[in-house]
Amino acid sequence: MKKQMKIIASILMVLPLTFLISCGGDDQIEEAIEVEVEVVEEGNEVYYQIPSPDEMFGFIKESGLEFNGELLNPIQNVDNYTDPKMQALNFGIYSADLAYTAAFEEFNETTKYFGTIQKLAEPIGIDAAFDKSLIERVQGNLDNADSLVAITNTAYFAVVDYLDQNDQGDKLGIIAAAGWLETVYVVANTTNYAKDKAAVDRLADQKLTLDNLLDYLNKYKSNKDVSEVLGWFNELEAVFATLTENEGSESGISFKKKDNGKMVLGGGSSITISEEQFNAIRDKVNEIRNNIVKTEV
Amino acid sequence: MKMKRHINKIVILAAIIVIPAVSFSQYCNHFHSSYCMPSENEMFKLNGQSKSALFSKGQTSELNIIVYKGQDYRVSLCMDENLGSQVKFKIYETKKVKVEKVIETKEMEEVMGPCGECNGEGTVDGEMCYECEGEGQISTGEEKEVISKETKIVVERQKSLLYDNSQDGFSNEIEFSVESTRRLTLEISIPGGGSGGASSKGMKKSKMMRSSDMGCIGVLVEHMTTPKSGFYGTGF
Repeated sequence: MKKQMKIIASILMVLPLTFLISCGGDDQIEEAIEVEVEVVEEGNEVYYQIPSPDEMFGFIKESGLEFNGELLNPIQNVDNYTDPKMQALNFGIYSADLAYTAAFEEFNETTKYFGTIQKLAEPIGIDAAFDKSLIERVQGNLDNADSLVAITNTAYFAVVDYLDQNDQGDKLGIIAAAGWLETVYVVANTTNYAKDKAAVDRLADQKLTLDNLLDYLNKYKSNKDVSEVLGWFNELEAVFATLTENEGSESGISFKKKDNGKMVLGGGSSITISEEQFNAIRDKVNEIRNNIVKTEV
Repeated sequence: MKMKRHINKIVILAAIIVIPAVSFSQYCNHFHSSYCMPSENEMFKLNGQSKSALFSKGQTSELNIIVYKGQDYRVSLCMDENLGSQVKFKIYETKKVKVEKVIETKEMEEVMGPCGECNGEGTVDGEMCYECEGEGQISTGEEKEVISKETKIVVERQKSLLYDNSQDGFSNEIEFSVESTRRLTLEISIPGGGSGGASSKGMKKSKMMRSSDMGCIGVLVEHMTTPKSGFYGTGF
């Protein structure tokens, strides 16, 4: 959000209050005041959104893929991340791990990973996003799968909102990038290319998500840490770029209304992926991810 | 009485200084989850790509999201009343495509003449003119524009319009199933904003806005796995 716009928002909030307070008599009248303020427009604002980890994990669970706890970044590693960039990156990794354990109802693990991201939130300066009620809700819903998924999502969205509203888009970009990478890491390492077609297709579709992520990171590339992370993801993009888009036999993409009245977005091209390309993506993802989670012994 | 006035002034001043810091982060925050009506279908879940932002009349913003194959999505808008009820909402598909482009570059080049025109000044092939003995060329001291063309493969972003709510009674919501994963651009435009003297300051535009010309817009995105219809399984 533009700073200038925020200033106006603040004025909108403050003015009724100031008018209320400044009334000297006993009868206090609240009255909105119209003000005219200067807004500096820097062109149309463009936002790039990255799907949150729960969307991917909900999908792979429904696709029949099994939980593999060995893929999680061990919580014992958390104390070894002392560099702010590594802390932000591993916050993203642990957030995705939290969503993974919640989606697969691994409640003991969920509790531990929730505690880990809560711990890591403090040095990153986002612990304000975790209020007491949220922690109590997690503890009170440990045996309720749907509630736990919803609450872990709430925690993730709270962090996203907090960083967004506090003009920390650079930090958010690093966290979202690592969170997305961890979801791809889990999918790539639990999917059997020959058997799990839906998961393979979903992995190929990450080419588009990566485009959104790169556009987002590019907005903050003046930040040294973002620039470094962007370099890693550009290398991954080069691997995804080998995937081909096949134009369908139908005409281009469009919304069509089916007989039952439901709108369907279909037609157009689709992305295909060979086993060799699948393995190349998995290898590159593993390389970047292991570089993030590694600890100095 | 005087004392009370002074206290009032101090409180007002404190409010002006302190409250903006608090309200910045809260004014449009969670607008979509607080004010956009979620689907009555409980299968729909809140999607993390939802967003709220402060808009002014006449402003256009874009939200780029990913919609996955095999999922249903519901996108709905909600807005502060003062922004009006006819908010324009368009959906585009955004694609990166490789395009062959002929790139023209213009350069100024020295006009050369035969060495015989040498008057003892200038150079030929880096050597002084008098050493060329009538061979090669020498700069005439004039310049001409030379256009060189080069074919390059560049990546361009292409947008194709898929939905325009002005063709759909300015509907603020759309629900759809996705058959192939797509990168969509949700373009939101607030009509109006013509009033107030707009002025240009370099690349940026500076405009006087009335507070009543601004408000929050929430874009609520919900998703669920597309329900399967018909009979499944081998049957016994």
